Amino acid sequence: MVQNHHRGCHRQGNHETVGESKEKRPKFFINDHVDILIEILKRLDCRSLCVAASVCRLWCTIARNDSLWENLCFRHASPPPTSVRSVVLALGGYKRLYMGCVRPVRRRLGRARRASWAGDEVQLSLSLFCVDYYERLGGSNSNGRLVVGESSPSSSLMFLCKPVNV
Amino acid sequence: MKRDHREISGATDYSSGSGSRVDSSSLANSIKGKLWEDDQDAGGMDELLAVLGYKVRSSDMANVAQKLEMLEMVMGTAQEDGISHLSSDTVHRNPSDLSGWVQSMLTELNGPPTPNLDPVLTTSDSNSSNPQQNQSQPRVFSDDSEYDLRAIPGVAAYPPPKSDSDPESTRKRVKTSMSSSGYGPDSSFSSPQENGIPGAVTESSTRPIVLVDSQEAGVRLVHTLMACAEAVQQDNLKLADALVKHIGLLAASQTGAMRKVATYFAEALARRIYRIFPQDSLDPSYTDILQMHFYETCPYLKFAHFTANQAILEAFATANRVHVIDFGLKQGMQWPALMQALALRPGGPPAFRLTGIGPPQPDNTDALQQVGWKLAQLAETIGIEFEFRGFVANSLADLEPEMLDIRPPEVEVVAVNSVFELHRLLARPGGIEKVVSSIKAMKPRILTVVEQEANHNGPDFLDRFTEALHYYSSLFDSLEGSGVAPPSQDLAMSELYLGRQICNVVACEGMERVERHEPLSEWMSRMETEGFSPVHLGSNAYKQASMLLALFAGGDGYRVEEKNGCLMLGWHTRPLITTSAWRLATAETGAKS
Repeated sequence: MVQNHHRGCHRQGNHETVGESKEKRPKFFINDHVDILIEILKRLDCRSLCVAASVCRLWCTIARNDSLWENLCFRHASPPPTSVRSVVLALGGYKRLYMGCVRPVRRRLGRARRASWAGDEVQLSLSLFCVDYYERLGGSNSNGRLVVGESSPSSSLMFLCKPVNV
Repeated sequence: MKRDHREISGATDYSSGSGSRVDSSSLANSIKGKLWEDDQDAGGMDELLAVLGYKVRSSDMANVAQKLEMLEMVMGTAQEDGISHLSSDTVHRNPSDLSGWVQSMLTELNGPPTPNLDPVLTTSDSNSSNPQQNQSQPRVFSDDSEYDLRAIPGVAAYPPPKSDSDPESTRKRVKTSMSSSGYGPDSSFSSPQENGIPGAVTESSTRPIVLVDSQEAGVRLVHTLMACAEAVQQDNLKLADALVKHIGLLAASQTGAMRKVATYFAEALARRIYRIFPQDSLDPSYTDILQMHFYETCPYLKFAHFTANQAILEAFATANRVHVIDFGLKQGMQWPALMQALALRPGGPPAFRLTGIGPPQPDNTDALQQVGWKLAQLAETIGIEFEFRGFVANSLADLEPEMLDIRPPEVEVVAVNSVFELHRLLARPGGIEKVVSSIKAMKPRILTVVEQEANHNGPDFLDRFTEALHYYSSLFDSLEGSGVAPPSQDLAMSELYLGRQICNVVACEGMERVERHEPLSEWMSRMETEGFSPVHLGSNAYKQASMLLALFAGGDGYRVEEKNGCLMLGWHTRPLITTSAWRLATAETGAKS
């Protein structure tokens, strides 16, 4: 029992109940099974995902994975064509898309409650996301190529929400 | 009807009439006093006030004005409970009989004592005893200047001199309800009361004071604006001048959108009266900055871009090479969204060519090229083949289609886009016809036009003024009601952007007046005459526009309407901008590329 207890202390971050009842079952640490962890985290909502990101370093790394955020973006919409992914990644990634555009758009349109809009929310968010990227193409580095300003959110999205720290 | 005391300035002297105009400039008081006495026309009603609904005898004017000032002072300084009874258990006469009304108010107010007011005094010659003076206003202010510190009650701002009551004032400001400034009666005056009020107050003398009805004041403000415009139209510049100053004060009593609109219109009217015309040829990058702030604050430009893009996207359908000609590139904010939509098109993106047209920059920087670089960077990021060309032109009418390197329609599909650019061409005769024929030579698959939905191009100045007043009031209202908390600088810049339009509509004429907005019906008949047929913006565009508007915090006020296949964005019941799409009526229908 003492040995198991030490092991339990070592795995401090596990919130899973699986860890708690490990005395009864064969030892199973969720962090050993990253694929299962990913499957679970994929189904979380935004807030839970952010909370999960502060559990431990492994969870943090996983939660930052863009594919989880891609699921969040397209959860209520039909799966997009594959070309969308390359575009979104080039423009800054799904997490930024979600936090900057999809979430505020969904929240605001949710108030209006039009069912027919559900699929088009993401389209609109994508357009706004692209405009945002374009606006951030501000300064140029020493090579003369335009770089995207990372820190400040562009003002074209100010109407959506307060500045988002991604 | 008006009288002009300013012989020094060389103005003509209207000798008839019963009204009076006063001016607080540096004229000697004696001149003014004598003129006032000379031109008394007892029994006649003041015509200026009559216009606004108040009946005051001109002989009574100074009297009434002083009493109003007294009343205002008491109202302003009395304790809360001291005057509350006025709203409940007093009888007031009809305020249109200004003299009687003021008298009844003052009698009511004689009861409650007033707090200790700052006893600033200079010389005065109170010959007449003021029965109310000892009761309710034991103090008198001298108002040498508009911002006399001594006007502030209490001793903190200005320590009181040693003299006591029964003050005299060498020059007092007696505010009539019409003019913006007072004049100082001479010390030889005997009839008016001596109590003066510091000049820093506003025109509140025209407002009913107890039942403060700011709507009433708003209506007065509009009436005064209209009266001033009418005076300008009739070339009655003296009256217009007086009214304009008055508008300034009336506007200061308002808050919010009405105040800003009135201020801009007053400034524009003043420019027209004094012939200080604004230069339209300001730095174009400055106007670009203003438009950027306008873009960010309210949905009008976003609506324009999204709906036009949707029409262009649908027209491009399955084309492999596309060419967009933008008549006003500015910062190119319209095109990222279109490029993104093209990139995600089922079947892959086409090759995208953009030709941007812009005004010459004063410092010879190539603004168009910079925008082109940014767009090229974006295109590379999202994987679209991109080509850009910029053309500098003072006016769209200078453009020749041959310069644009139009490729045949089998190779490349062309779209022409104009956001708030076509109306400027109406300033030159033949301008719009030339541009439309250029467009026809470009053989576009689609032409998208976004214009303001207003009639600011009529021949009659007063009509234009009225239209503009309603239009910009709605526009400013929507800015105010948008409720989004933008940095206040954004809002201010957006308002400045609109203010410059107002200035152009009201103050300029001829070739200078470029903001010649026309409503959709005019544009439709014009386009149809020139050989275009309308393309209906589909339900997709409508849906996108509705979603976009729902995102804005003031989304309840914005309305999207569909009319004859065109989409209109408005604020409550008033449509403000319209997007329409056109194609050549004789275009080959079966051509696909």
